[in-house]
Amino acid sequence: MNMALLSMTANATQTQDLVTLVPWTFIIQIVNLFIQVALIKKFLFKPINEILDKRRKMADKEIKEAREAKEEADSLKVQYEDSLTNAHAEAARIVSDAQKEAQNKADTLLREAEQEATGIKARAMADIEQEKKKAMNEAKDEIGSLAMEIAGKVVEKEIKESDHKKLIDDFITKVGA
Amino acid sequence: MSQSFEVDYAKIYATIRTGIPILGDLGITETLVVSWIVMAIITGLCIFLTRDLRVENISKRQAIAEMLVETGNNFVRNNTGGTRFDKLIPFVSALFATSVVSNLISLVGLRSPTADLSTEAAWAVVVFIMITATKIKTNGVLGYLKGFTTPIAVMTPFNILSELATPVSMACRHFGNILSGVVIDGLIYWALGLASAALFGLIPGVVGRFLSNIPILGIGIPAVTGVYFDWFSGCMQAFIFCMLTVMYIANAAEEG
Repeated sequence: MNMALLSMTANATQTQDLVTLVPWTFIIQIVNLFIQVALIKKFLFKPINEILDKRRKMADKEIKEAREAKEEADSLKVQYEDSLTNAHAEAARIVSDAQKEAQNKADTLLREAEQEATGIKARAMADIEQEKKKAMNEAKDEIGSLAMEIAGKVVEKEIKESDHKKLIDDFITKVGA
Repeated sequence: MSQSFEVDYAKIYATIRTGIPILGDLGITETLVVSWIVMAIITGLCIFLTRDLRVENISKRQAIAEMLVETGNNFVRNNTGGTRFDKLIPFVSALFATSVVSNLISLVGLRSPTADLSTEAAWAVVVFIMITATKIKTNGVLGYLKGFTTPIAVMTPFNILSELATPVSMACRHFGNILSGVVIDGLIYWALGLASAALFGLIPGVVGRFLSNIPILGIGIPAVTGVYFDWFSGCMQAFIFCMLTVMYIANAAEEG
């Protein structure tokens, strides 16, 4: 039919009909198809799917890790905030303690100083009183003997000091009072 | 330049006498040889594309390979609605790759294996067996057989006919498109050769005789028509064949 439709030049090599089913070609093409499926599976799909799978797993892992890191950071933040608050409170307490102690110390020092000053003042007063008494006594004695001398000179006669001692003392006492 | 038109027939390079009655002698035809070249090209391409694979910082080559795999995955998954038919992905991809490369290999001057009905018949029969196997798996043997008597028993012969029409139409559609491309390409070359012989034959003397023997018009113009008859038709038929394969098998699994 083909020969009638289309003229064909004489050819050395054999050719097959244009529209024909050759059993062997048919069978070999089925085998070829399955070989091709196996080859494409082995050389394209298997390695690429493995890589895609690996990448997917890696991405999942990284997302998980990021989430974990974020959680950890959040908990650390809370912890830091807590400790910061505690530190503030501690600092305030320490400052107030120090202030109180300083106040106490100052009070104590002031009180002690006052006491000491009071003591010193009292002692000084006592000393002054004693000195005054001593001076008075000395002056009394001096005045007594001076009076005696003056009186003796005045009356031109010896007055026995011992005889008139009592009299003179009475006089001085009266003068001193 | 020959005045008569000849179609590019598949050559038989060697014949091996097998002596098997029905199958006859094994002829190593152009179809088979080019098929093996196609397989070598596809496999070589796969090996080349998947060399030096990395998880991060991938090369352009790997990006192409991943794109191809993703395209295959998406094609099957989108048309079957789910991942039930993931086992089909390498089969459909191999079918598509073989078909496209076979169709386009005519561009380098080889004869397309798909311009031989035996090739498409082989593929269509494999697909038909897969469809039938899926139907039997879904409905059971009895359910599958009972399916032929629907809606009424009288329809049985027609149902069987329509069932058989599936592989026949798939094979013939693909084959017819590619063969018509081959024939039309041949006609265009032949016609352009005649036209340029006639045109340059107008030049008198030795120059005209020399130029008229060269099909000068055959340069360029067939490339334009080839965009449709080789590129578009070749890719389209491969796509249609794979689409039908996936659709038929997905439908087979839904029946019952």
